[in-house]
Amino acid sequence: MSGPTLYVVLVAFGVVVGVASGLLGVGGGTLIVPFLTLAAGFSQHAAEATSLLVILPTAIAGSLALRRRGVGDLGLALRFGILGAVGSVLGAVLALALPADTLRLVFAVFVGVVGLRLARDGIRGEPAPEN
Amino acid sequence: MRLRLQSLRLDPKLLAIGAGGGLLSGLLGVGGGIVMVPLLVLWAGYAQRDAHALSLGAIIPISIAGIATYGVAGEVRYGTAIALAAGSIVGARIGAGWLARIDERLLKVVFGTFLVGIAVLMGARG
Repeated sequence: MSGPTLYVVLVAFGVVVGVASGLLGVGGGTLIVPFLTLAAGFSQHAAEATSLLVILPTAIAGSLALRRRGVGDLGLALRFGILGAVGSVLGAVLALALPADTLRLVFAVFVGVVGLRLARDGIRGEPAPEN
Repeated sequence: MRLRLQSLRLDPKLLAIGAGGGLLSGLLGVGGGIVMVPLLVLWAGYAQRDAHALSLGAIIPISIAGIATYGVAGEVRYGTAIALAAGSIVGARIGAGWLARIDERLLKVVFGTFLVGIAVLMGARG
């Protein structure tokens, strides 16, 4: 892909990422990074750096839209996120000292099990924890 | 709902999920959301919809820290970032609109399926 075609594809893929982000409360890096490395031929480093710059405006746009609709509490979320930011800097430092592939595999299993459980709860209609 | 959320601002579980979720996300190079949302629902007992909104807001400071520590200046492809962001800003407003009114059970199924897909992707990569 090159030129105008690439940009049309990028914008269209951006819309998909944005919908997933706004609906699911995720940044979208798990979608953007594989897309840029596999489909656009980016290096891992360039893909992650580019992805970070997309995630920020996406999360802001989604959060403002939720705030207008009275969903959640943006102030609380931002305070919560500052803790997350501190944690993620520590995590990035730790990652240099630990076997990343093993961690990734263990984590993949964890995410898979959690995903199955949530899907099962939703299908069975078990009472959601209302707060 | 809003009042209850504010009354939980010092909830120790929220502190633990913020720090721990961020740690895992930095450690594994994955977004914070796929860590934080399940923990908020299954461990801290938040309603599914509130957990997603909380996670999305939390990603704002987390991604700012990521940009600051990553040293994106030399690596980022601005044309690509702008094209993706142009689409994703529009998409985020659509997705947020759906989140505001989607049935909680359906949301669980959609998010659960998304997580299983990510797990397969991560497993294949690892």
